[in-house]
Amino acid sequence: MAKKLIELRNVTKTYDGSAVVDNINLYINENEFITLLGPSGCGKTTTLRMIGGFEKPDSGEIILNGEIVNELPPYERPINTVFQRYALFPHLNVFDNIAFGLKNQKVPKEEIAERVETALKLVSLPNFAFRKVSNLSGGQQQRIAIARAIVNRPKILLLDEPLAALDLKLRQNMQYELKEMQRKLGITFIYVTHDQEEALTMSDTIVVMKDGVIQQIGTPTGIYNEPKNRFVARFIGESNIIEGIYVRQNLVSFMGVEFDCVDIGFEDGEKVDVVIRPEDLDLIDPKGAKLVGVVSSSIFKGVHFELCVMVQEKEFVIHTYENKPVGQTVGLRVDSYEIHLMKVDKE
Amino acid sequence: MNIKKLGRLVVPYLIWMCVLVGLPLIIMVVLTFLKSNALDLSTAEFSFDSWRLLFSDLTVRTALKNSVVNAGIATIICFIIGYPVAYIVANSNFSNKLIILVLTVIPMWSNSLLRNNAIANLLSERSIVNDVLNNIGLSFIWPIRGVFYDSGFSPAVVIGLVLTYLPFMILPIYTVLEKIDKSLLEASMDLGANKVKTFFRVTFPLSIKGVTTGIIMVFLPSFSGFAIPKILGSGNLVFIGTLIDSRFMNRNYNFGSLLSLVILLIIFGSMALIFKVDKEGETLI
Repeated sequence: MAKKLIELRNVTKTYDGSAVVDNINLYINENEFITLLGPSGCGKTTTLRMIGGFEKPDSGEIILNGEIVNELPPYERPINTVFQRYALFPHLNVFDNIAFGLKNQKVPKEEIAERVETALKLVSLPNFAFRKVSNLSGGQQQRIAIARAIVNRPKILLLDEPLAALDLKLRQNMQYELKEMQRKLGITFIYVTHDQEEALTMSDTIVVMKDGVIQQIGTPTGIYNEPKNRFVARFIGESNIIEGIYVRQNLVSFMGVEFDCVDIGFEDGEKVDVVIRPEDLDLIDPKGAKLVGVVSSSIFKGVHFELCVMVQEKEFVIHTYENKPVGQTVGLRVDSYEIHLMKVDKE
Repeated sequence: MNIKKLGRLVVPYLIWMCVLVGLPLIIMVVLTFLKSNALDLSTAEFSFDSWRLLFSDLTVRTALKNSVVNAGIATIICFIIGYPVAYIVANSNFSNKLIILVLTVIPMWSNSLLRNNAIANLLSERSIVNDVLNNIGLSFIWPIRGVFYDSGFSPAVVIGLVLTYLPFMILPIYTVLEKIDKSLLEASMDLGANKVKTFFRVTFPLSIKGVTTGIIMVFLPSFSGFAIPKILGSGNLVFIGTLIDSRFMNRNYNFGSLLSLVILLIIFGSMALIFKVDKEGETLI
């Protein structure tokens, strides 16, 4: 069974009176790739900095291996960080940058050389040891920053939007490499990003945050298919959100029509939010369709077409492989297991 | 498009430079090869006397040594005082750090001769400070002025130099410290270096540019100036600056010019060093 490595208990952090991180509870297992996901200002970076020891929580506890580490300075934690802007030391070359942590641990010289070389190979930049940091490209600096962190063999690696400054292609490559690296090294990765695609691609667990509060914790598929509220549904992927009523078990009504559904846990007659992903809506013949609408726009997206269909004044987004001309009347169909119900947000 | 037209604006400045800098320099170089009574060229004759003197005269060596010793000690003291001040201000939470820096500069707004004369009075044997010290039996700590050692070290001159040139040490160091990316310090701590180690392995190496600039900006004027040694050195101690002063006073423009050129070369060398360390000139204010 997975072992709990680090735990945040009721952690709160306020700046100038407003809570940036508000009473967070979270635990992270060994060998887990966990992503803190949310829009900017949601407290994800602050949470990461508290784990790294750069900020102290105002209240609550950070527990590492069963010990409270609130007061432990960063240099005494078995944790290393890959900073957003890499933070490589400009006065040192690549080798000395990577060896920095090992020298602090007083590792013998031969071992340092060996480990630095291994780390450089791991980030596929062998023979870069004696380059100047300022002569490296963004992607190379990124890799050196990762090498500098993992060479210390930390228990936990914190990554603060490490790919944000890279271009799309490089970013996608690095996503796979990071995931691969994590699997190989067996280090727990705590990854912060605002990019939902990045989070879905790499994570074992995703923590969705908003306004310093955790909205949902789950696996990528779990969060995508079963978002807990409107915020999560909107933030992760695209979705059609419709107000509906839970008529009784296995029956939900929205847009004036009743649909079969499989979600449970609601009371009969309770108001619910219905989430349907754009790719789960199928186009069918308008005759006999439960939902009928008119195509209002069609955009070619490469793999698919993105159609907007107006059904009773409500716009549905649909991803489909076959194009329909604007103005055509179409029918929509959705399978019962693809109708996801959420409790209505209180706000 | 108007680069050429704009370029014409430089012309007056160029003329100014040629007349007031270029020409005098050439005259100085010429003078070093002459033997003349001041600038009276009618009686001047060609001579290597000045150059010969430069390498043979003991006074020159003593003056150079005294200048180097006192300027060196003053520079070290400026660094020892200036670095912590710059560091503390750069890392403080004051909302307006500039005000504190201005405070260090404000004394420079009063005339330096005035200030150094005041210091000379304070340090003189018949000053109130000495009176007080005498009366409480501490007169032995008062050989600051008028007493010289073989090394050429004059405490009074050094005090004057430090008080005058300290801001030139603080400002460039402050500038580089202020610019250091805080995430580098976090990265260092993250990699297991405590605060002291972080200072010596990251902060200090990254501030070397400012330290170099500061050292040169303090050392050069301390080394070449003549007013402070003249006022505070009681006239007994020869410095390179006072030596030049006395040569010109004695109408020996030839040797005076040569010594000035030597200093000029030293200054150019130092500037070259600054630009080598700090290519963007970002520590120069």
